[in-house]
Amino acid sequence: MRKIEKKLNLKRRSFLASTASIAGLAATASVVPISISSANHNDGEKGLPDFINWKDRDALIVHSDKGIETHRSAIGESLITPNRNVYIRNNMPTMTDAQIGNRNDWRVSIEGVKNPKTFTLAQLKKLGHTTVATILQCSGNGRGFFEHKVRGSQWKTGAAACVFWTGVPMKAVVDACGGINGEAVFMTSAGVDHEPTGLDPKKAMVERSVPKKAFKDAMLAWEMNGVSLPNAHGGPLRMVTPGYFGINNVKHLGKVAFTAKESSVKYMKKSYRISPIGKKGSQYPSCWEMPVKSWITRPTDETGTVRAGKVQIVGVAMGGTKKIRSVKVSTDGGKSWNRAKFIGPDLGKFAWRQFAYEANLSSGTYNIASLASNGSKKQPELRMENRRGYAHNGWKDHSVNITVV
Amino acid sequence: MKILRFLLIILLYFTFNIQNIIADETKMLKGLEIFNETAACAGCHTMKAAGAEGNVGPNLDTVDLTVESVIDMVTYGLGVMPAYGEDEILTTEEIEIVSKYVVNSAGK
Repeated sequence: MRKIEKKLNLKRRSFLASTASIAGLAATASVVPISISSANHNDGEKGLPDFINWKDRDALIVHSDKGIETHRSAIGESLITPNRNVYIRNNMPTMTDAQIGNRNDWRVSIEGVKNPKTFTLAQLKKLGHTTVATILQCSGNGRGFFEHKVRGSQWKTGAAACVFWTGVPMKAVVDACGGINGEAVFMTSAGVDHEPTGLDPKKAMVERSVPKKAFKDAMLAWEMNGVSLPNAHGGPLRMVTPGYFGINNVKHLGKVAFTAKESSVKYMKKSYRISPIGKKGSQYPSCWEMPVKSWITRPTDETGTVRAGKVQIVGVAMGGTKKIRSVKVSTDGGKSWNRAKFIGPDLGKFAWRQFAYEANLSSGTYNIASLASNGSKKQPELRMENRRGYAHNGWKDHSVNITVV
Repeated sequence: MKILRFLLIILLYFTFNIQNIIADETKMLKGLEIFNETAACAGCHTMKAAGAEGNVGPNLDTVDLTVESVIDMVTYGLGVMPAYGEDEILTTEEIEIVSKYVVNSAGK
């Protein structure tokens, strides 16, 4: 009690001192231009939180120390997004090297199989080996375009990346355990990053169930773009569910269970549900499979004015869980569309493809947009309004205005 | 007579302002108490002015906040953060007090 009183008294002085300096602060703010991208960073090296001080500050928009977005023009001109540019969205604090210990001794239990087992990372490395390119995208990517007041980071396009993962196919792990139990309907993955916080696992554990069929494409990854999986991205071991939203790619993986029911934790039952504005509940669809989507990465309002003449309009397109088939580009706000060419290598249906369209533009202002199709579905013009601003793939909001001189 | 009236106005002005300052200060202290004790916001958030070093939610010294946005967040929660209003953990008055306290204190 004495300690509390001491802190209250201390803070009282602090509050009074800060009140006295408000006028001074206001005067400073009025003469120093502050941009959104640099106004809210930490005091650490390069203005990034310590746990990701190795990232490229210039490529990132810092919403908070827990929500960091990649600039539209910095998601990777060479198809794959470099680790230093990949966005950060973590529900729990990133585990430290000390908490993780020897990476090869990291343990993951496999349940809901004929012969449940616990594997160390070293043992997993003997079961199989694969490399897959997938799109990692936060369920709320595009939330910043919604007009109702949505809680959470106001992502535009940069809570997404295309990444090479290396690890063991989940199928090889299942085979090593004698196969899946008959009654299983879901593959349920749980992280252990809540454990150091001491919070109630029902409220804090990131445990996500996805339809069982996802296990055929899934993998347990220990490498990201050729380096040991960084702690900030879920190292030393992460579930990767290709074609599914980021939250299902559980970080700091401690358990995979094949279950008859969905997990009952908050992050499954209450969070990440796509419900109408003003409504919520577990009866609404969970953020699982990603929809077809594309957006332009160059030129944009970030890249400045464009010289008149030939202009390369470049972007990325994804098919969700299906292969991307075509992309069209409009330079007149969607009144007319022209087919773009896919460029660069095809890294499989779970990676995005880059596209390019060469336009001949004279001086003026243009609204440029892209429209992707996976053969059976194409991007809608408008966003699907929903309470939490999830799964936005409407082309109109993702268009950009450019000035040609 | 004019001097007396002038002195009376000055006295009333200072009395009124001192009362306001005391009232504001009382609310700030209440806000700090809610932040650190009643709602235990400090367990999950960093905010130097409160001596808080939590690392589950965003560092409040690094984000742009408005009273409206904080009231909304505290009332309805997000992710692991409880819905302090919806779940009746805090009263409407307590939510307003702690939200104003946070907005006044974050980044200082």
